[in-house]
Amino acid sequence: MRQSLAMLAAVVQKEVRQTMRDRRMMALLVMAPLIQLIIFGFAVSFEVDEVPAVIVDLDQSHQSRTDLQRLLADRTLVAVAERPSVPEAERLLERGEAAVVIVVPRGFERDLARGRPATVQTIVDGGDPNRAGVATSAVTSYFAAESEARVRARVRRANARLPEVRTSSRVLFNPTLDTSVYMVPGVMAMLLLLITTIVSSMGLAREREVGTLEQILVTPVSSGVLIVGKMLPFAVVGLIDFGIALVVGSVVFDMPLRGSLTLLAVGTLFYLMTTLGVGLLIATLSRSQQQAFLGGFLFLLPAALLSGIMTPIRSMPEWLQPWTLINPLRHYQEILRGSLLRGASFEELHVQLITLAVMGALVLSFASFRFRRSLR
Amino acid sequence: MTHVIEVRGLRREFGDFVAVRDVDFDVERGEIFGYLGANGAGKSTTIRMLSGLLAPSGGRATVAGHDVGSDPIAVKRSIGYMSQKFSLYRDLTAQENLEFFGGIYGMAGATLRRAIDRACERTGLADEHRKAMTGALPGGTRQRLALTSALLHEPPIVFLDEPTAGVDPASRRAFWRLIRELADGGTTVFVTTHYMDEAEYCARIGLMVDGVLVALDTPAALKARYVPGETYAFTGRDLHAARERTLSLPGVLAAEPFGARVHVRFAEGHADPDMIARHLTEGGGRVDRVERVEASLEDVFLAVVGEAA
Repeated sequence: MRQSLAMLAAVVQKEVRQTMRDRRMMALLVMAPLIQLIIFGFAVSFEVDEVPAVIVDLDQSHQSRTDLQRLLADRTLVAVAERPSVPEAERLLERGEAAVVIVVPRGFERDLARGRPATVQTIVDGGDPNRAGVATSAVTSYFAAESEARVRARVRRANARLPEVRTSSRVLFNPTLDTSVYMVPGVMAMLLLLITTIVSSMGLAREREVGTLEQILVTPVSSGVLIVGKMLPFAVVGLIDFGIALVVGSVVFDMPLRGSLTLLAVGTLFYLMTTLGVGLLIATLSRSQQQAFLGGFLFLLPAALLSGIMTPIRSMPEWLQPWTLINPLRHYQEILRGSLLRGASFEELHVQLITLAVMGALVLSFASFRFRRSLR
Repeated sequence: MTHVIEVRGLRREFGDFVAVRDVDFDVERGEIFGYLGANGAGKSTTIRMLSGLLAPSGGRATVAGHDVGSDPIAVKRSIGYMSQKFSLYRDLTAQENLEFFGGIYGMAGATLRRAIDRACERTGLADEHRKAMTGALPGGTRQRLALTSALLHEPPIVFLDEPTAGVDPASRRAFWRLIRELADGGTTVFVTTHYMDEAEYCARIGLMVDGVLVALDTPAALKARYVPGETYAFTGRDLHAARERTLSLPGVLAAEPFGARVHVRFAEGHADPDMIARHLTEGGGRVDRVERVEASLEDVFLAVVGEAA
């Protein structure tokens, strides 16, 4: 037992010495996540505005000009050009210079004045569904509100009352519906995954490539001690990165810190067990550093896409949804968002926490089993 | 004499390829045992099995009384190993490397410090080198460091896999002096090399060809068996044209090109260098000098490989 501790201490000390000496490594471990968090926090956002629009005003009336002006006033849509006909406007859409065409029909003013329905048409570029949706709904909601106002005016003139259902909404936890606040915890989870997986897979792959691993393997050190010793320093680095990310998130993005720090730390530790374990597993499956690096990306991309960070899991195909349960990133982002944004408690997140712990233990033991076998 | 290494029918396959084919031998305590062979002959595979790095596919081997297949950890405790590729950390200082490798043998604190000092003293690793970054050390010093690291836990047996590959001649000689000192102190040294001059330092030599141990004996006995007779070296110009014809002359066992020279070997008591010189000259060459040479292990190696092929 005492001998095992001495061995563990030797491995940890060696990893720390090597890492601290390598300036680029330190930069990768500490500076890179910091900078990426800030950049991605701003960049990864669902808010769409200033959608370029082409106006085709076939009516050229006072009414049509007023409506278009008011429609464009909140800058969700920005008029980049005006064209006299639909085919000419569509050409701008084809060339990608605009994302939406808004067509006001001939007789728009006259029809409205006579109480007849008028149809404003939108033609959107569906290539970016999110942007197309935003543009269509901007036009729809503007004219819906306009129509409602006309209906109300009529009803009032007729001294009648309108049976109606009103909706009122109140936003909890993120009152301004700021997407950064929602995205920053997700970005944190992805950055931790990226760094720890790559560091652990490359670290082991390099030792194998350079030959130092063989020299270790002729010593009586057990593979468990070796693996734990190699992982510990990077688990600490991961926790430090996590702390930095918390500070940056709350200072730069006003991300709230509603949950308990202990819960976050425990969740992060379990999560790091899985990410470091996966890195190790990748290293045991690859023959060189390049392979380990590529293997890392083969894991990272699906893990990020199927985590629920970018797109809700419920909107994924039915058959795919259960598979996201084996993705540690999914559970971790639920813990992060739940705890940070909602202040969720241990009881609410215990399923995720237990899943991560079990997953971490499984991945690490499988990796160390593979590691032992790959040597013989 | 006691056998510290016993190998019986040791075999290793990689898929269809048999890297080591049913090898038998014993190594005595304090012996320098040399393992010779071309690249890919199975030397490293044998050493890796004996160090517990690679499980044998068949046969049995015990090292310091421990079975390599069933108790590799006990084997690892009793051996030092130096791989053919330099395999210490270049981005650590020599001292830090020693601390790490001593540490993973389970040593710590004062015990570790004493073990490092003692090993450095044995190999003559200077203090200034211990503080230097390993990657910046010259090749010879690096080998010395690797050996120091292999000796930290004072193993009774050390395996050295091509320890002097890529090292300058002066450092090679110094390194072999160390190896002899180790053996004199009772440490068993199992060494592979493809430098035939180094093999002369070994008490016994095993020769491997394509995974088979084809010969095993002292250098002198190997020479007597594989290159019997007397060998003469002919120096001069354009000797090679007539070389093959001398093979049919009475008493000639072999005639081999040796750089610009030709080595002709006669059966014991049938040496007639003058006759050969005459023949070589008649073939259009010029003989400047004739001298008696001792058979080398290189001759043994060529003879054995030729016989096996």
